[in-house]
Amino acid sequence: MATTAPPPAAELFPAVRRTPLPGGYMGKLLRVDLSSGRCWDENLPEEPVLRKLWGGQALATYILLHLLPLDAEPLSPENPVIMMTGPVAGTGLTPGGTKMTAVFLSPATHRTLGRAATSGFWASALKEAGYDGIIITGVADRPTYIYVDDGRVELRDASRVWGLGTRATEDALRAEVGHQDARVAAIGPAGEHLVHAAMLVNDYNHAAAHGVGTILGYKKVKAIVARGTQRPPIRDKARLLDAGARWRKALKPLTFKIEARHTVGHARAWGAITKRNWRETIITPEDAKGFDQNQITPRPCFQCPRLCPWDAVIGEGPHKGTVVHFDAGSEWIDTFINLGLQGNDVLYMAERINDLGIECSHYADGAGLAFEAWEKGLLGPDRTDGLELTWGNLDAIERLLERCARREGWLGNLLADGPKELAEALGGDAPKWVVHTKGGTPAQHDWRPLIGQMLRELVASGGMKPQGGGSKEPPPDLRYREQWGPLADDQPDGWAWSQILSEQHRQFCGQMGACWFAQNANAPDGLNSMVDALSATTGWDVTLDEALDTGHRSMLLQSIFATQRGWRAEDDYTDVGPRFLEPVPDGKYQGFTIARWLPDLIYEYYRLSGRHERSGRPYRSTLARLGLDEFDAWSEPE
Amino acid sequence: MTAAPIPTIAPPPMPVPTDGRPYPVARLLDGQARSILFDAAKCIGCRQCVEACKDWNELPRGNSYTLNPSTWLVMEPPVLEGLASVWGRHSCQHCEYPVCAAVCPVEAITKYEEGPVVIDPVTCIGCEYCIHACPWHVISKSDVTGKATKCTGCPERVAVGQSPFCVQACPVEALDFGLTSAIARQAEERAAAVHGTVYGARAAGGTHVLHVLTHAPADHGLPRVSARRYPKHHIPLGVKLGGLFRLTGGPRGKMRAVTNAIRKPWRLGYRYWHRPQRAD
Repeated sequence: MATTAPPPAAELFPAVRRTPLPGGYMGKLLRVDLSSGRCWDENLPEEPVLRKLWGGQALATYILLHLLPLDAEPLSPENPVIMMTGPVAGTGLTPGGTKMTAVFLSPATHRTLGRAATSGFWASALKEAGYDGIIITGVADRPTYIYVDDGRVELRDASRVWGLGTRATEDALRAEVGHQDARVAAIGPAGEHLVHAAMLVNDYNHAAAHGVGTILGYKKVKAIVARGTQRPPIRDKARLLDAGARWRKALKPLTFKIEARHTVGHARAWGAITKRNWRETIITPEDAKGFDQNQITPRPCFQCPRLCPWDAVIGEGPHKGTVVHFDAGSEWIDTFINLGLQGNDVLYMAERINDLGIECSHYADGAGLAFEAWEKGLLGPDRTDGLELTWGNLDAIERLLERCARREGWLGNLLADGPKELAEALGGDAPKWVVHTKGGTPAQHDWRPLIGQMLRELVASGGMKPQGGGSKEPPPDLRYREQWGPLADDQPDGWAWSQILSEQHRQFCGQMGACWFAQNANAPDGLNSMVDALSATTGWDVTLDEALDTGHRSMLLQSIFATQRGWRAEDDYTDVGPRFLEPVPDGKYQGFTIARWLPDLIYEYYRLSGRHERSGRPYRSTLARLGLDEFDAWSEPE
Repeated sequence: MTAAPIPTIAPPPMPVPTDGRPYPVARLLDGQARSILFDAAKCIGCRQCVEACKDWNELPRGNSYTLNPSTWLVMEPPVLEGLASVWGRHSCQHCEYPVCAAVCPVEAITKYEEGPVVIDPVTCIGCEYCIHACPWHVISKSDVTGKATKCTGCPERVAVGQSPFCVQACPVEALDFGLTSAIARQAEERAAAVHGTVYGARAAGGTHVLHVLTHAPADHGLPRVSARRYPKHHIPLGVKLGGLFRLTGGPRGKMRAVTNAIRKPWRLGYRYWHRPQRAD
């Protein structure tokens, strides 16, 4: 296998900066080596690297490419967790300046980038503590939590909270550090037991998924607690105030209303939801029965007006009085509706899964498969430890979830590994019934009727929450160079390019430290206001074209990382659970599938993004155009 | 869209007839009184107003659950956003008759006709009289500068027709700002709609922050304050003696305080033998 020739880490983190630090950055990365118990500060890379990548996923992946040996395993001391914010995070003067993205080698796929992103108050707390990001390497010899207190770092004993759920851990550690406003990101029992899709949960309502909790659990890191008094310097405050106000205006139409919480959520947008392991899709009023009796309170992220996160006090039925906390998406609703639950049983279980710290689609698709196998006689009580896996059996769903979180029993252990592993262990026809993408799981919505979203899920880095999805017409701010559409819902023409554009602008959103839920690309000024906010913060003069290129760099670094570990573009359609590509079974989209256009649609996607359609490797000219020549060794000869 | 100018300091006061008041009174814009409305029935405790205050004034982040030199506005109770259901706003009430200004030995606190009560950090000598006189205990002293600090009411924004920065930051419209007459009407209507009460309209002779409360003031973290102007205060004897005998504010500060006492001896009454005044 070829090797890259990256600059050594010492050059990546200069001992003394030779270039001025742009605005928005704190200028420091926290290095934590758990094996030696050592913590130290590194300077952020020099300005040209920052200008090229900004921050977030791209900068973190760039560092990961330099730090991670090619033969490292996901669960090994060498696999770091690299958390990165961006310059706009924590300024307080824009919506959505809340994003932290963590990267690592995925424990679900073993060969692609794991990317875990979260919002809430975690990114701003980290910057208040004085850091743009954290690099965690090694393995601790006992349960540990990292406490970052205004630039002072401690590794503390976490034995007292080991075994606790994410909510109880957050409460206990906040009390222990003695600062009411300290922010906590914690893993639950699932992370401790190395469930392959364990999450890191912060601020009650937020979770970073795709296995970051697994890696932290392996490292015996129960939590990271941060607080501080620092704020990122801003180069042009007046311009940032103006850009932030424009951004707020563009975002306003997307503000969540309380009434949205009385429904099954995002699935309503196109009218299909996952039921009985993706074998039914029709939404019925019973699915959201009782939601309108819940007391809903928005729990917005740091200085963001979109009001995505929300709490509810369940107002009826057996769970009356239970408090539940959710963030922006609604995959957890699809998750438990997929297992036959309805009404507030769904919200109750969603709270349980967030407390245990498991990515909901991981359980939805694993347990969904197990329930289907039970229904079809492939799985009996001998391997479920007596649980009756009948659809909608709340008790069985809850007990099975607990077993999955702690790897208890034959089935619990396989559910912890993932749906693909469970399907193989079940044997028979089970591998035909499973949903997965490269061993990970897609965000739990029934995307099958939607061409752009399906393409996005398939080309993502193995089940991680993907970016993009395309739009029927170009975003208004891009019409100076993009004139196409409207694209047809039932024809593939144009969707590959639309996906690439949307992936670029979603990527650059995260790279500046902003949340893609706070990006309204479909509104005039939705993209330009963000780019102007970045320029005002950093002192750069960034154009929208440059921003899209920056997003493109992040896409390429993500695939270069996977290329180095044996991934090929063809895995995107060959290593997929067949149920995900089956025709929609019922409802208004019955019979529709994008499988009829595969693999051509995936080939087109890679070709148009400057990569080889089969290998997925970027062409040398693509790397040269984007200034990523240092990765030439991983390019495709032209 | 062009960037709004950001005045870095409050505009120079335009002197207006002081009506015999024991502090400077000045005009920012048009002389029409304005008020902030805080609607506790809508508040979700997200603290975006708190951080916005810090952003506008470039105060350090953190320590945002108690009033201190880097936090001029807090939400009560001092717990995480998800851990309470009844919230209160605790910051300067911008009294119509500010007792903090009345007790200031150097007249460092100005009352603007539009509402804001503003401490001039250059003039302040750090004597702490105002800190103890304030019925809402919203003034604190900076360890770094030795000066008194508190919410300014964003006079630089009000002077150009904008609302205070905390108000524009609220994501659930629990804060509003406008002419006092309209805000007072709005407060009464909202209080009637939510079966609540209005707080702040009469306290200390009237204030420029009105609260719509759903529970008793104490449940929102608010004290009961007499309706009399310049309510009774308890400046500790030690602080009074210190003000008299120490070189508070350095020789220049002391000189200003002494000169003020000689030129306006009637102001001393507000400090040393204060009697609250009956409201109209």
